[in-house]
Amino acid sequence: MRNRWGAYLLGALLLVGTNLCGLAIPWLLKLAIESLQSPAKAGYTPAQYGGLIAAAAVAQGIIRVFSRTTLLNAGRRIEYELREDLYAKLLTLDRTYFSNWRTGDILSRLANDLTNVRMLLGFGVLSLLNTVVIYTASLILLTRISPFLTICAVLPFPVMILIVKQMSASMFRVSKRTQEALARLTTRVEENVSAAAVVRAYCREEGEIESFGAVCDSYSDASMAMAKIRGMMLPVMAATGAIGTLVILFVGGNQVIRGELTLGGFVAFNGYLAMLVWPTIMFGWILNLVQRGAASMTRLGEILNAYPEVVEPEQPVDPGEIEGEIEYRSLSFSYGSAEMLRGIDLKIARGSRIGIVGVVGSGKSTLVRMIPRLFPVADGTLLIDGIDLNRLPLQRIRAAVGFVPQETFLFSRTIAENIAYGKPGATREEIERAAKIAGLSGDLTRFPQGLDTLVGERGVTLSGGQKQRVSIARALIKEPSILILDDPLSAVDADTEEEILSALSGYYGKRTVLIVSHRLSPLRNCDRIIVLEQGSIVEEGSHAELLELGGRYAAIHREEQLKAEIERL
Amino acid sequence: MHFGGIYEDETVGKVYDRRLMGRFIAYVLPYRRMLTTALLLLPLIAASKLAQPWIIKVAIDEHIVKGRMEGLPALAAAFLAIIFAESILMFAQVYLLQWVGQRVMYDIRVQLFSHIQRLSTRFFDQTPVGSLVSRLTSDIEVLGEMFAAGIVTVVGDILVLAGIVGIMLWMNVRLSLVTFSVLPVLIWVAFAFRKWMRLAFRQVRARQANLSAFLAESIGGMAVVQLFNRERDEAKEFRRLNASYVEANLPVITWDAALYAVVESLSSVAVALIIWYGGGEIVKGTLSFGSLVAFIQYIEKFFSPIRDLSAKYSIMQGAMASLERIFALLDNDDREPAVLPASEAAKGTPQACQASPAQALQSICFNDIWFAYKDRDYVLKGFSLQMKRGEKVALVGETGGGKTTVTRLLSRLYDVERGSITIDGTDIRELPLPVLRRRIGVVLQDPYLFSGTIAYNISLGDPEALKRVEQAAAVVGADRFIRELKNGYDEEVRERGVNFSAGERQLISFARAVAFNPEILVLDEATASVDTASERLIQQGLEGLMQGRTTLVVAHRLSTIRDADRIVVIHHGEKAEEGTHAELMAAQGLYYRLYQLQFKD
Repeated sequence: MRNRWGAYLLGALLLVGTNLCGLAIPWLLKLAIESLQSPAKAGYTPAQYGGLIAAAAVAQGIIRVFSRTTLLNAGRRIEYELREDLYAKLLTLDRTYFSNWRTGDILSRLANDLTNVRMLLGFGVLSLLNTVVIYTASLILLTRISPFLTICAVLPFPVMILIVKQMSASMFRVSKRTQEALARLTTRVEENVSAAAVVRAYCREEGEIESFGAVCDSYSDASMAMAKIRGMMLPVMAATGAIGTLVILFVGGNQVIRGELTLGGFVAFNGYLAMLVWPTIMFGWILNLVQRGAASMTRLGEILNAYPEVVEPEQPVDPGEIEGEIEYRSLSFSYGSAEMLRGIDLKIARGSRIGIVGVVGSGKSTLVRMIPRLFPVADGTLLIDGIDLNRLPLQRIRAAVGFVPQETFLFSRTIAENIAYGKPGATREEIERAAKIAGLSGDLTRFPQGLDTLVGERGVTLSGGQKQRVSIARALIKEPSILILDDPLSAVDADTEEEILSALSGYYGKRTVLIVSHRLSPLRNCDRIIVLEQGSIVEEGSHAELLELGGRYAAIHREEQLKAEIERL
Repeated sequence: MHFGGIYEDETVGKVYDRRLMGRFIAYVLPYRRMLTTALLLLPLIAASKLAQPWIIKVAIDEHIVKGRMEGLPALAAAFLAIIFAESILMFAQVYLLQWVGQRVMYDIRVQLFSHIQRLSTRFFDQTPVGSLVSRLTSDIEVLGEMFAAGIVTVVGDILVLAGIVGIMLWMNVRLSLVTFSVLPVLIWVAFAFRKWMRLAFRQVRARQANLSAFLAESIGGMAVVQLFNRERDEAKEFRRLNASYVEANLPVITWDAALYAVVESLSSVAVALIIWYGGGEIVKGTLSFGSLVAFIQYIEKFFSPIRDLSAKYSIMQGAMASLERIFALLDNDDREPAVLPASEAAKGTPQACQASPAQALQSICFNDIWFAYKDRDYVLKGFSLQMKRGEKVALVGETGGGKTTVTRLLSRLYDVERGSITIDGTDIRELPLPVLRRRIGVVLQDPYLFSGTIAYNISLGDPEALKRVEQAAAVVGADRFIRELKNGYDEEVRERGVNFSAGERQLISFARAVAFNPEILVLDEATASVDTASERLIQQGLEGLMQGRTTLVVAHRLSTIRDADRIVVIHHGEKAEEGTHAELMAAQGLYYRLYQLQFKD
């Protein structure tokens, strides 16, 4: 709520103002009727009272606009700031966090829970203040008209508030039940649609329809229970107003006849009592809102209080220009209960080209992901230019690494913007050059707007291979000292691969290059190849050496030759 | 750079569309009695609303002003009775409307779901799951809202408004006309504000879409953002979108507050007019005090339904858009393939396949079949295969070579484009789908598990299969691990079977095939490598599964091809080689190489 106390205070004051104008109207009405009954004692004529009422109405309206906008805007502003904070937090969280959370869950918290909190801080606060102001003022005015009548009329109110509170509690329960039923219904549909082939293969269409009907039924029932409770609110509301009016008609009417109360007082009393009905009902609703808002705030707190495992070093070491020497010292890494890397010892000289092969799950990708600290280094050490990675400023190491991830991710922006993502403010020439090395030139000429073609849902759908090459260009434009390619050409055909590889070899220069691949062809020009198995290095050497060794690498090589032979048949 | 502006304005639909409503009425008709009852309650509710100020008028004029106590208690009792009557009638009306609404929602939902069950496999290839889910959930929910707060309530509001106007005119024409002088302003405000609000709302929705799209993308690509040190830029862009969203909301808040305030003030101004003009009338003796008070109360009741008119308006708008989408899906008739009349399709079928119309399966023939998922991109090009009763045929070849397609065509998940598939000489297109599919048990490569119990996952709710659940589990050896579970066959399977190992999931899907006791088994072996324990489980399961059935298997296991009676090698959509393992190995052709590549362990 930081810095918003002022807004809330102003809003509260404005609310008092608008309600005072509103409350003045029944009072003026009282005076007007009294003046009509006994014109002699009257201060003003009915017409003048009419004018005063109109003036009060206009003033109430004007202040109303300001009070509502002040408070509701404050709610929106807080929502804005909270969203800002949440996003800022998300930006610092690491891969471990995101793989434990479903994107849908995070998004729903940022949408639904944030809305609940905003409702509480905007509309909830507004209604609460409104209720308090109207209650206090009305009670004072009512007492001024007739203390006895007030006590009679207000007597049932606490009971009403209690009943509404009870009802809103069961409303909360039933609404939860309804939500759960809807969730079941949704799951049912999702499964049926995803498993359409299974359903058809086993002729289960009729059975599916039947069981879907049952799920719909239970949802309908829950919804009807909800409708019933909501409907029950109506008699309660009516009763609140009715008892008051009954008291006025009977007791008040009596008092007027006996001359203890003026007709004007009678009318005004009726007016004030009518004003109280709604805030009384509102009480229960606000309670509900507070409950929901608090629950949502807790869920948001789970994001705000999350902390990443990969953090900035407390005492960072300035590495100067990172040159790209990498050394793993008995580095291990576990993910959940799965050991991904086991005691890796590996020294990579700057400017060397290293190939990494192994089957799925052997730890290839994990090995390279340690370098830009996508995963935390906790067990063992990783040195860059002889400095402990954990002591390098995050920004510096990430600026020095050009990383082409296995799962290509592009933004829904233009191709040029996606490439320039690697280097903010890159010139058109730089972008074109990077695109050319990555083998995109040919594809670009076929796109409607070349480099300015929009990618994604609203633009052109790129093929897997095209996406990979944009992702490569994005890493290249960064001019990194360490270039990491994690299976970058898996979706590219052999000829294109050949072309890109030769263009890339001209780019490598002094850079340290790590290429992860499940195929051997991209590793041809590597100085050294590392074979990983179950998180350990099992073979290491040049292509020729490894072939001669006749182990894993040689086996993979044979397989690939066979494949090629089959392809040629 | 601005990245967030890619989402266009959401189009805002009509509030009332005769064509859509006409079609929608058909769903309401079965419940017309309930609906009529609810509609009949409306005048009663309106009357009880209108009676209340009138009672106050009578109380003031006949009793309070005249100082007559007698009759006042009775009047008070009448007032109480009317208020309770109103609330009970309201409750009944709300309940009836909800009931009808829920029934209609139920009917549409089940109809839509049933319709989806009859759509072709291709339809599912092209339609995202999410869009179908929202058709069946959120779009139908909006229809429910229309019942709860839409059309019928508006009719009730109009009745009340008309009643108030009538009574006021009847009580005092001139005072009514003076009071109604605020109405043109009110109507102008209601329409003008609605227009401005709609524009403002449209902007809010567009910017909200931008914000959510950006957020979703950013969370999905967080690793890239961090790898490229772009946190600060992303935060900046997010702040811009966030701010523009909040800014778009502010006018909505202002318009809304203004509308609220104007309606509230106008209603008080109307009261002021009543006092000004009515006061004069009272002095002249042409108006009673009671009428003055009743006028004031009527005018207050007049304004309250006008206040939430805009909310009802947007509900109707949403309902029309949803109806449009729902009907569009219902009109999609990309149905499952139809059954051909028994006739000519059989001609040109090889002799071997035409014989024996006996009950038990004798032969399956694939005759020169061609098939493409897309355009002319043929996956199968003139593939032929004959299978005899009890035979076990293994399909091998490279990924993407068309093996799985062959199995899909047999159960008519897709139809062949040229050629034919016959069972005992009858083209499968001439068999009713359930008849065909009942004979074939399919085990997909990725065993799909539903949320529900294990027993449900094996039987899929089929009563016949349910009887054979335990027996089927025993045949494939799944009974051992199931018995060890806390709840046995009633153990809950969580979403997609995450609480079971890959091997266990496979076994459950094997048991499913056995429980349906098909003559023909179509099996697509999983390619993914599993741990050795799972591998052993699957191995044993497979033996039980294939026992005594005519089996077509897409093979990825050494044991499977060794046990096969015949192996068919598919290469680029054509049959390249055929024979037993020994024969094909001896030939040293394609199979020989594939064997070394795929089955080396």
